[in-house]
Amino acid sequence: MALHDTQYQHWQGRHVGIWSRRAVIAGQGLKSCLQVKWMRYIITLCWGGALVQVVALFFLGQLLVADSIVVEWLSNLNPQLQAIGRALTSWLEGHPEISVRTSFNLLFYFFSNSLMTFTMIAIALSIPHLITRDLSSNAIIIYSSKALSRSDYLLGKFATVLGLMVLTWLGPVCVAWFMGNLLSPNWHFFWHSRLALAHGVVFLGGSMVVLGVLALGVSAVSSSSKTTTSIWVGLWLVGNALIPIAKETKPWLRNLSLSYDLEQIGLSVFQLKNDFQAAEQNIPLFGDMIRAIRERSRSALETPDLTGALVGLGLMMAICLVIVARKVKPE
Amino acid sequence: MAAPIIETVDFSKRFGALKALDSVTLRVASGSIGLLGPNGAGKSTFMKCLLQLLPFDSGSAKLLGREVGREGRDIRKRVGYAPEQDCHIPGMVGCEYVTYCARLCGLPFQAARQRAHEMLDFVGMGQERYRKIDTYSTGMKQRLKLAQAIVHDPEVVFLDEPTNGLDPRGQVQILELIQSLRKDHGMSVILSSHLLHDVDRICEQIVIIARGRVLVHDTLQNLKARRRGAAEVVVAGRHDDLMREFGRNAWPCELLSNGHIRVEHSGEDLNPLLRLMHSLEVPPVEIIPSPNALEEMFVKALAENSEESSAVGASN
Repeated sequence: MALHDTQYQHWQGRHVGIWSRRAVIAGQGLKSCLQVKWMRYIITLCWGGALVQVVALFFLGQLLVADSIVVEWLSNLNPQLQAIGRALTSWLEGHPEISVRTSFNLLFYFFSNSLMTFTMIAIALSIPHLITRDLSSNAIIIYSSKALSRSDYLLGKFATVLGLMVLTWLGPVCVAWFMGNLLSPNWHFFWHSRLALAHGVVFLGGSMVVLGVLALGVSAVSSSSKTTTSIWVGLWLVGNALIPIAKETKPWLRNLSLSYDLEQIGLSVFQLKNDFQAAEQNIPLFGDMIRAIRERSRSALETPDLTGALVGLGLMMAICLVIVARKVKPE
Repeated sequence: MAAPIIETVDFSKRFGALKALDSVTLRVASGSIGLLGPNGAGKSTFMKCLLQLLPFDSGSAKLLGREVGREGRDIRKRVGYAPEQDCHIPGMVGCEYVTYCARLCGLPFQAARQRAHEMLDFVGMGQERYRKIDTYSTGMKQRLKLAQAIVHDPEVVFLDEPTNGLDPRGQVQILELIQSLRKDHGMSVILSSHLLHDVDRICEQIVIIARGRVLVHDTLQNLKARRRGAAEVVVAGRHDDLMREFGRNAWPCELLSNGHIRVEHSGEDLNPLLRLMHSLEVPPVEIIPSPNALEEMFVKALAENSEESSAVGASN
């Protein structure tokens, strides 16, 4: 008696290309990550943050234009503000390259940094779904026995973690920029805020590559999900704890902190120093206040430790690449 | 000989001081091939090196006419592999897993999904395909491994101990499926096992490996022919008379614990044996020609290899 009802059929269709197969790995990884309840909460929070950013940009846009609804409303609240507001906004309106660019740049810097915390948590949740579980379940053998190379597998997994960061970080920032400009009083905002977007994309793009490599490395360290997640959280928290210690002892220690290094790169990319200077010199009435802020943060704003950050991150990435090369093998 | 599917020359692999594969030179034609050997003989290592799951140290190998080590992705597109150990992706359900494996092999999504269901039907999995793999029994996991190995319609499928952990009924079912792949669908099957019965049942060619060396490579038919002169005779009585008569003909014989008489009659067929029994007026209840031929060949090959190794060791 036949044991099976259906006869074996040969398949003669056309195979998809290697990039599609890598995308399949990435898609499966992302799907697996999104099955974690807390991951969905984190992503929702990030998009909630984007909404807050859009609201902030909307109000900012309204404040920067003399005849906007918000300025009218504020003026009605207190007639004394009316004169100040009118003078300020009419000046700002005349210098959109300063007002829009500076305010957007500052807002995007803070927004990008605040979302980094959520992104780090999201990566911590995703670590087991990258390589760890494939090592523990021997699924790595299945990948290796298919028409894929080790680099195809790793590219797929790298795309998984990048996709996740697009959902928690780059996506909210870009959408906030677009929506914020869409709700702004005029179309010039798109043009004048282009640098803020470019800074954001460069900073986030670079950070995503760094974090992606580090996440793969940490995920490959062990076949135990608890171990790899703990290592990631430890790397992040111990790094943060190192910053004040380094201040008192050896300054180079702070370059072992992931957060510190990324912050330095962020400062270098966003060039906040220029924004503060422009604001201090050009915005009437508030020059002294801005100067005071700049003085307080002089060291951080004016000379970000870019070299140290790049060396620190480069070292961490190199270690992770070695781990991946040694650990991601079918046997 | 038909075009070989496997061709190796001095194919070697070491694990530290241990020679897992020792200059294996082999030319295997398409068909169903049984890789036999005791545990740790190098069967799985041989398979893994061919599939490039392990790097080999020296020599060269071709699989389906393509250079192993250079055309890995292309080779694996045409080859299926069911490893010995569990290798599923945690949290996935059966059909999702097989679909995913098909997509990793390059099948478009719709085709992959359809093909996955076809293969799950083929291996005899019903509604359990919609359950998480983590909840499967050993038998279901073995079926699933077979399904993922053939989902992309490979030319050759490597099966590493596919009946491990199965009950006798499950073993028969899996072996019948594997046999059908070869007989009915023309797929070459390379079956690694330490269970002689499995190999005897479905393989046309036998490769016996021990200590990383190929001891025997021949068709099962030829191997059995080498032992053609042996038989097990079952008689109702007069065992002593019969054995005495065998001895007079210089046919070595022994009485087995089950009451059967094992005799090496040296004839190409059973006629001399039947004539002798007829002349003695001892009617046979049953005659089993070439019993356990493969097992004997296996044991003999291992023994020869062991003696050879000892001799080499002593001369050193």
